[in-house]
Amino acid sequence: MALTQVSSNKCAGGFQKVFEHESTELKCKMKFAVYLPPKAETDKCPVMYWLSGLTCTEQNFITKAGSQLAAAEHGIIIVAPDTSPRGCNIEGEDENWDFGTGAGFYVNATQDPWKTNYRMYAYVTEELPKLINANFPTDPDRMSVSGHSMGGHGALICALKNPGKYKAVSAFAPICNPMQCPWGQKAFAGYLGSDRSTWEAYDATVLAASYSGPQLNILIDQGQDDQFLSASQLLPDNLIAVCSEKKIPVVFRLQPGYDHSYFFMYSFMNDHIKHHAKYLNA
Amino acid sequence: MMTRLSTMNLLPNAQYELWVTATNTTGISPASEKALYMTVPSPPVIKQRECTSCPEAALIRWDSGNTNPVDSYTVELSETGTNGTESTVPTCQCLIQLQAGRRYLISVRAVNIGGPSDRSEVITVSTTGTFFHLLEDTAHPCLSISEDGFTIFYGDEELPISAMALDDNTFFTRCVAVLGDLIPVRGRHYWEVEVDDGTEFRIGVAYEDMERNTYLGANSSSWCMRHILSPTRHKYEFLHNGWSPDLRITVNPLRIGVALDYDRGTLSFFNVNLEQHLHTFHCNFQNHIQPCFSLDNPGALTVHNGIEAPEYAFM
Repeated sequence: MALTQVSSNKCAGGFQKVFEHESTELKCKMKFAVYLPPKAETDKCPVMYWLSGLTCTEQNFITKAGSQLAAAEHGIIIVAPDTSPRGCNIEGEDENWDFGTGAGFYVNATQDPWKTNYRMYAYVTEELPKLINANFPTDPDRMSVSGHSMGGHGALICALKNPGKYKAVSAFAPICNPMQCPWGQKAFAGYLGSDRSTWEAYDATVLAASYSGPQLNILIDQGQDDQFLSASQLLPDNLIAVCSEKKIPVVFRLQPGYDHSYFFMYSFMNDHIKHHAKYLNA
Repeated sequence: MMTRLSTMNLLPNAQYELWVTATNTTGISPASEKALYMTVPSPPVIKQRECTSCPEAALIRWDSGNTNPVDSYTVELSETGTNGTESTVPTCQCLIQLQAGRRYLISVRAVNIGGPSDRSEVITVSTTGTFFHLLEDTAHPCLSISEDGFTIFYGDEELPISAMALDDNTFFTRCVAVLGDLIPVRGRHYWEVEVDDGTEFRIGVAYEDMERNTYLGANSSSWCMRHILSPTRHKYEFLHNGWSPDLRITVNPLRIGVALDYDRGTLSFFNVNLEQHLHTFHCNFQNHIQPCFSLDNPGALTVHNGIEAPEYAFM
């Protein structure tokens, strides 16, 4: 479990670092970003895992989302992994921006040629937390998950598939019902095959319908002027309907004038980190 | 031969002239010099329903208890089991600085040159959370208040026409609403409201001079959370100046926490049972504001206060 530090910058009184390691799940070198708040110098801190969206690396979130001041204020470590395995030389991995490289969809692929490397679900829920807990001053019982778009989908499914593991969950413009949208259908067909019943295990709307576990309090922000919302890629109404039916607490906020970009996330990042802090620091 | 006489049945807070004459078989002497005697006042009567408190202070109001004016009042304050303090005030109310999380006993005496009255009945003030009653004078005529003063009802009655004749901006005339008597202390205040699944309500705060012929949240002097019941779903709005953000809430709150922070300029709403934050208004409250409660359709709601704010309320 050797970590190599790639970069370190002092930020908001703490440190924004990037590390690289050899991943056993993904069978390639992976980078991830870690923000260590000032509190981490003296105490164990809770950890928020941030999952980025299509085409992102570990860099976008740490340079554009404006998370560090709030993380410092609330004493939270933020871990932001990459969005897919890289450099695996899989045929076709770079052909699409919404499938393959930069588009892991946080699943464990079962189809060739993806199944050996494209195991982002296991990486995010198992390998990465073990690595983080072994190398940083974390409180292993206090973790939470958040993300944007494909990463919002990732955050929701991680929380719904692991009752009690995450103390808080939130999302920005998540893909709520991938089985019903073009992005999800393309990715799941490629990674999981044509048997749609295998897709259900990675669809937040389907998972919410059968969720049973400790109460989740979900915060979702969605830009009203998000082109992907109008293109029916995100489908939040489907998730809201199921959560209303199943009494899963959600506050969904439609933000007028905002799009799908990091400018949108930056605008509400403080609210999300505060939401996480309430449960992580309880 | 008498040299001393006691008189009884004197009126309180009254000035008497006393003089003595001597009598013998010849007749009655001239009167002696007159002595002036002022009887002490009657004790004041503390107006329980007009007393309000918060963690740092209490506002006590009372009736003089005397038809004629008195000179001043003495407010006696003690914590249960300890010696107390006294302050002198000129009018029938007193804002007292207190410490949070304690129980205080407060009584008042009226004072004139004759001395202090008996003590009024003691009122107990608990500085846990913020405590207030509803201002019955502000209630819309169709709104009735329970005997304990904390549940409001909107029945199906027709609005009495006579009620509309008065137009002095005291009570609500359109919105079936009532204001609460929040202590005028800038700081943090928290209260809760209990509703039924089907109650259509508006709860929040308003400036005291809010136009009584308008709806809560429809103007610039009020902020509220509104619940609307449509045939297909529950709808929630957070209104100020007639505008609300677009929000969906999947679990209908039945117990709503309202947290007001003057210094930070925030008004927040929570689903208390889920400890779930719903919305926060950011506003610079220039003047003191009052809690407000209204029912948009027949129904009821209950106000709970004197509760210590949960940790997350002022995070």
